[in-house]
Amino acid sequence: MIEFRQTTKRFGDHVVLRPVELSVKSGEVAVIIGPSGSGKSTMLRCVNALEKISGGDLLVNELSVLGSSADIRQIRRQAGMVFQQFNLFPNLTALQNVMFGPIRAKKYSKSEAKEIAKALLGKVGLFERKNHYPSQLSGGQQQRVAIARALAVQPRLMLFDEPTSALDPELRQEVMKVMQTLAMEGMTMMVVTHEMHFARQVGSRLIFMENGRVVHDGEPAALLSSPPSERFHNFLQHVQ
Amino acid sequence: MNLDWSVLISAFPDLMQGLQVTLLIAISGLAGGIVSGVVAGVALEYGGRISNVLAHIYVALIRGTPIVVQVMFIFFALPLIAGIRISSIDAAIITIIINSGAYNAEIIRGALNSVPGGIQEAGLAMGLSFPAVLAHIIAPLAFRRSLPAMGNQLVNVVKDTSIFIVIGVGELTRRGQEVMAENFRSVEVWSEVAAIYFVVISAFTLGLRVLERRMRLP
Ligand SMILES: Nc1ncnc2c1ncn2[C@@H]1O[C@H](COP(=O)(O)OP(=O)(O)O)[C@@H](O)[C@H]1O
Ligand SMILES: [Mg+2]
Repeated sequence: MIEFRQTTKRFGDHVVLRPVELSVKSGEVAVIIGPSGSGKSTMLRCVNALEKISGGDLLVNELSVLGSSADIRQIRRQAGMVFQQFNLFPNLTALQNVMFGPIRAKKYSKSEAKEIAKALLGKVGLFERKNHYPSQLSGGQQQRVAIARALAVQPRLMLFDEPTSALDPELRQEVMKVMQTLAMEGMTMMVVTHEMHFARQVGSRLIFMENGRVVHDGEPAALLSSPPSERFHNFLQHVQ
Repeated sequence: MNLDWSVLISAFPDLMQGLQVTLLIAISGLAGGIVSGVVAGVALEYGGRISNVLAHIYVALIRGTPIVVQVMFIFFALPLIAGIRISSIDAAIITIIINSGAYNAEIIRGALNSVPGGIQEAGLAMGLSFPAVLAHIIAPLAFRRSLPAMGNQLVNVVKDTSIFIVIGVGELTRRGQEVMAENFRSVEVWSEVAAIYFVVISAFTLGLRVLERRMRLP
């Protein structure tokens, strides 16, 4: 479903992704970990072409991120994204935030969009908060609205960039639970996170990045119980 | 000094005619200045090299010269250069649109720039084109952000109409001067002219405050 083919990314002279070769299949939950600055966010942002790759190729559902702008919009509709900072539209209520994508990106009627949005807010446990503005919601609630908003355009895969890093520890669980439910329903996911129990319980793949490279890629439980490298071992001690 | 306040009543019809011209120029200036300001502001913030440079030149030229000189140029010099004739009222309207647009452009550029990049990316990530993100996400937020500064600027437009007395446009200030030239009642006439400006500008300011409050986010 997602195929990195010798993908590279540079910012000027600064190489952020060395050739990355990676493929994520339908239904997989790939958890990506690694030190700050190792290129995790950049890798995710290349998938939906928020960053333009510098070399190689990257296919999402057989469409290349190097394709036409229509192809790129198609890729983006198929790949929902959830940001560390939520990035909700502050001038819209929770319901309007979730309705936005169906109306603007999929040209659904207002009433269709409303039905979709109500159902999704129910799914993330925020139906009764539907008329609240983002500023009237807790961080955890905002992030759940953001997940509902991303799901509203009916993506085939979801990209999560440290979705709980901006949250107080006691608010992380509610977001993790929503993500776990999604994973159980078979959603293909790439998740950058430091939550190791999420990686262990929900992840089907664990990818360790360092310095723009995929250093380890394997079954989460196996990697976590017997770290294959000193660096990985030290990193785990650091985050746990 | 003896004051004759009955002059207020006898001068009123003339001054109201002047006010109509003032409002015609001001409203054209507001609407046209918003359009030219948005075009130049978008060019400043998102334009390619050429449109960006053109917008910078426009803003610098207008902000770097007095509005009196601008209207003199448009009314007296431009007809010689371009071989066209324009009426004084047209010259006034053209000047006010060009002038307020340049000030609005900077305000609009700043407001567009204030919309967080992450919020724009959220729109792009759903598969919207950039123009759609600009229209449906950035514009509503930038509009709110620009309201206080735009409000001040638009009030200036109403006041600036009085300088068109220099090319003989029959707006409120000019009418005041004409009335005074007939009756020599400067205290009464200029008090009345000032009061009319004050009422119009206060009503306008109040309207803007109400709009600002309505648009305020929780
Ligand atoms: N827009 C950008 N311009 C220049 N350098 C960038 C940009 N985005 C990221 N980088 C650099 O790329 C490297 C990887 O960043 P990132 O992908 O955000 O890492 P991570 O998410 O793993 O912390 C960092 O060194 C960062 O400074
Ligand atoms: Mg990151």
